[in-house]
Amino acid sequence: MNEQLITLDGITVRKTGTVLLDSVSLTVARGELVGVIGPNGAGKTTLLNVIAGFERFEGVLSLFGQRETHRRSRETRLRVGYVPQSFPVDPAFPILAWEAVMTGAIGRTGLFRSPGRHRRQEAMALMETMRLSHLAARPLGQLSGGERQKVSLARAIIQRPDILLMDEPTANLDIAVQKEVLDLIDEIHRKEGLTVLFVTHDFTMLPSAMGRAVLLCQGRMLFDGDIDKALSGETLTRLFRYPLETFRRKGRRFISYD
Amino acid sequence: MIEHLMDVFTYPPIQRAAIACVLCGASCSLLSVFVVLMKMPLIGVSMSHAAFAGAVLGMLIGVNPFLSGFVMCLAAAGALGPLSDRTDLAPENVLGILFSFLMGIAFLGMGILTRTKAGVLNLMWGSLLTLSGCDVTILAVVTGVLVLFVIVFFKEIHAVLFNRRLARASGVPERMIYYALLFLTGAVVSANLATVGGLLIFALLVQPGATALQLTYNMKHFFLISAASGIGACASGLVISYIFDLPSGASVVLMATVIFAMAYIFSPKRRMAKLKKRNGAP
Repeated sequence: MNEQLITLDGITVRKTGTVLLDSVSLTVARGELVGVIGPNGAGKTTLLNVIAGFERFEGVLSLFGQRETHRRSRETRLRVGYVPQSFPVDPAFPILAWEAVMTGAIGRTGLFRSPGRHRRQEAMALMETMRLSHLAARPLGQLSGGERQKVSLARAIIQRPDILLMDEPTANLDIAVQKEVLDLIDEIHRKEGLTVLFVTHDFTMLPSAMGRAVLLCQGRMLFDGDIDKALSGETLTRLFRYPLETFRRKGRRFISYD
Repeated sequence: MIEHLMDVFTYPPIQRAAIACVLCGASCSLLSVFVVLMKMPLIGVSMSHAAFAGAVLGMLIGVNPFLSGFVMCLAAAGALGPLSDRTDLAPENVLGILFSFLMGIAFLGMGILTRTKAGVLNLMWGSLLTLSGCDVTILAVVTGVLVLFVIVFFKEIHAVLFNRRLARASGVPERMIYYALLFLTGAVVSANLATVGGLLIFALLVQPGATALQLTYNMKHFFLISAASGIGACASGLVISYIFDLPSGASVVLMATVIFAMAYIFSPKRRMAKLKKRNGAP
């Protein structure tokens, strides 16, 4: 049996009287790529924030077999990478793309130590592998949304995590760039053997390696299982409370509604 | 003229004023990087009002107003981080609330105070020529600690200024760095109250960083340009104020504005952005 890296047992998150997550239980084994899918306000990002240690919660969370709270040791944080939804960067902010990638390695380097030339070479090599080397010397704030998202992915990868949490990494990107980012995620998952949690509300564009999905609705878990079952018309109709049908064509999933 | 200026610099009060001016420029401009990149321009004015409120309270209870101002400033800086983190309020909103609350306390104290208010008002306007050796020593120590902090934690500061949440996710002790920066802001503001005063510190905490923002994408250069423009504004402001017999604090701030205006007009970053726009780049 595969090692369980993430275990959530009865996780509840309340904020200003509202229940954002309601007793969610979930286990994720090493190497899995799990989709967390649901409509807006379903609690997907909150779930990711709990695992990333950004949110206080009730219930039991274990990472790598150790019980955790929202306060984490540096060692645990280093093993959990995080890719946010596209975030705004001031175009004048003093950071180049390769430096942004390097910020992912600062925790690994530790206090009172210089990242040195080898870390820079590591960042450049990673950018080369991810076909981003042409962006290395450009200011991050001047990159397009898609380019910035790929840099963000490289920033998380250089951290060398065991778990990668991705919060709608393809949101607000055009279809061609979404496809590029998804292919990159598939490639990284295959090469690095990472355990990935991929949050999205758009289930028509998913990494092809995604074999399992968790459906959330109003803070509750509605479904946990095979991706094809999760995205069947019947399950999605229950999730969105609207009659939906899905069909596949040339490997892609399409949705039809009245 | 130069000979005359050199003669003037042989007097200890002028020497102290010159040293304090350079230290003030260096400390405020280094912090200005943090203030500008974290988009917290209100922090300077909030901290100076904390010092002002502390000084009024000090006078009311019979404690040295500079000491009570210093303590209140550090307390406000210490409260700001946890308040914004725990209450889900944006730091700029917390600053606004803190600023108005402290101003209320200060004016309440001023109303109750029956003695002369000159000591308190000195904190708002500063007085370069009446600085004591102790004032300059405190300023030197605070500036030294700040410079050391920036050098030792440069990479962590860069990561935190870029994105606090991502820094935390990467195992950077972002809360420690962020709170230390807030605390240092309190220390720098209160140590500088006697030099340029609480009202003018606001300008020195914003303009050098805003100047550097016009000129570079390199973080190390950013700190250096900010420090150079802050020290330049302080030194040139002091000389101009002496030559033309003008108030020193106002001259320093006006020089900082002139330096920022020059940087804005000749900004290579703005020129590049314009060129890109013209060429239809994304």
